[in-house]
Amino acid sequence: MPNRPNTISNEELEETARAIRKNVVRMVARNGQGYVQQGLGAADLFTTLYFYEANLDPEKSDWNERDRIFLSTAHNSALFHATLAQRGIIPIKSLATYTKDGSSLEINVSERLGAIVEATCGSLGQGLSVAVGVCLSAKRHKKNYRSYVILGDGELQEGQTWEAVMFAASRNLNNLCLMVDLNELQVEGHTNKVMEMEPIEEKFKSFGWKTISVDGHKFTAMRNAFDLARNISKKPTVIIVKTIPGKGAPSLEGKMSHNMVLPKKAAEIALKELELL
Amino acid sequence: MTDELHLGDFTSNAFSSANIPKYYGETLVKLAREKAEIVVLSGDLTPATECDLFRDNFPNRFFNTGIAEANMIGVSAGMARSGDIPFVHSFSVFLNRRALDQIAMQIAYPNLNVKLCGFLPGLTTLLGVSHQAIEDNSVMRSLPNMAIIEPCGARQIESAVRAAANYKGPVYLRMHRPSTALTTKDSLLPLEIGKGQLLVKGNDAIIFAMGHMVQEALTASEELSRKGVKVAVANIHTLKPLDIDFIIKHSRQVSAIITAENHSIIGGLGSAVAETLLEGNVSRKFKRIGIEDTFAEGGSTNFLFKKYGLTSTKIIDELEKLLDSY
Repeated sequence: MPNRPNTISNEELEETARAIRKNVVRMVARNGQGYVQQGLGAADLFTTLYFYEANLDPEKSDWNERDRIFLSTAHNSALFHATLAQRGIIPIKSLATYTKDGSSLEINVSERLGAIVEATCGSLGQGLSVAVGVCLSAKRHKKNYRSYVILGDGELQEGQTWEAVMFAASRNLNNLCLMVDLNELQVEGHTNKVMEMEPIEEKFKSFGWKTISVDGHKFTAMRNAFDLARNISKKPTVIIVKTIPGKGAPSLEGKMSHNMVLPKKAAEIALKELELL
Repeated sequence: MTDELHLGDFTSNAFSSANIPKYYGETLVKLAREKAEIVVLSGDLTPATECDLFRDNFPNRFFNTGIAEANMIGVSAGMARSGDIPFVHSFSVFLNRRALDQIAMQIAYPNLNVKLCGFLPGLTTLLGVSHQAIEDNSVMRSLPNMAIIEPCGARQIESAVRAAANYKGPVYLRMHRPSTALTTKDSLLPLEIGKGQLLVKGNDAIIFAMGHMVQEALTASEELSRKGVKVAVANIHTLKPLDIDFIIKHSRQVSAIITAENHSIIGGLGSAVAETLLEGNVSRKFKRIGIEDTFAEGGSTNFLFKKYGLTSTKIIDELEKLLDSY
């Protein structure tokens, strides 16, 4: 039976997000460069999704009734692995192998890690379509599990995303919840510099989706958004989550860098800042 | 020889009035009765890929995903991950050219049980260069985990579709539609995935053929046998996994080898056989027959096959050249 939402307080979510952020900084610092900004930015969202919303069995990641979580932004991997470890799905110790040769904790998350990776999505724009297929089958087999997709705002530039958006609405997939991680960051800098994508919410609305916009650093707002999405009938829901790259460590906050150089010294400062958070 | 474009397939109500046998569509319906996991996806080419029969029998298991092939592949992957067996339908060219990345990452890499059913292979369409799949086998063959099956005509469609359905893993099913019905004289051909099929014996030469070209090879062999030249014909219905032992064994028994395919000579059957022979230390006279590294144009199948050398006459010419060149 569905077991969501989980019982957890905002204080506990905050504490959990802080622990996850520290691991993100440590994991990226070991390479001296990586997706630290997106990781810190989306840490509160991932924490809410994995600790409040999703129905998962950490002991059995291939449990058939689990909610499916698709990481379409597969490069946000430091955060993804750190969140799984915090949730008890993979060992905390395994984080030390992140991006090392032979490790299943790759820089672009792959299903070599196990069943908890619902699709291998390094090629951007593909995750939503697979989730749509899972939702169709879930309806067909009268299953209660839901599918959650974490999409980068840059992925809104991929045509396939809109193919999937149009199709999901036409099939009334109310078991689908898409989160757009609106960090306004892509490889070449601010998304606006590359392509004007606003108004994003209106675009989804016109495609027939239920839309919710939230501050990605306010736990209550995100919990309410998930609660609302769960109770929508006949429509898929998109939660547009405004996140701030580098959030949590003031020395990194707001720095718009996709694959950022993170010298040891900067990492040490960030870790200290996170302690004081 | 067949023409695969039937105006009756493109009626405004999506109900086919094409007056041709639908061996593929009928087999799919039979299989769906046996396997409740089978679902069908169509990229708005339902009658032209014969899955209208499935749609009408199993409307709840049929999904027209619209003119959006990339999404269709992703959706099929999600359904396969949920335990269904999706049969995905479009023209070959749109699966391979438009959705290759999606096929590679969402079907082949996770080794999912999805059947990619591509129609209009090679030069079998009036619709021209945009609709002609001439490099699909080459591209699909280089994807790990992907099996490739192409039946040699009406006699083998049912066994091909059945074999694909029973195979656990991704299959590219390269389908062409016969224009004429089987007669009582025609015996059905079995199909075992990964097994070469010797249709005619002969000690002088062998033709390894696929799909449409099997019939051309049979005609060529028959004509040459009247001149006293004994030419074996092998139907390579499975391009991958390729029956390497079969190819090496039968090649050793002849002095000349021809490959014949309704596909570019680059990367398909001809290349696969050449690689096999060289690595198997079999040195024989050898010629690939197929589309010779060129784009074609719209035209009737007969016209195009003649123009681009996909005929029994071409096979005979090339074989005689090989055999005369001692």
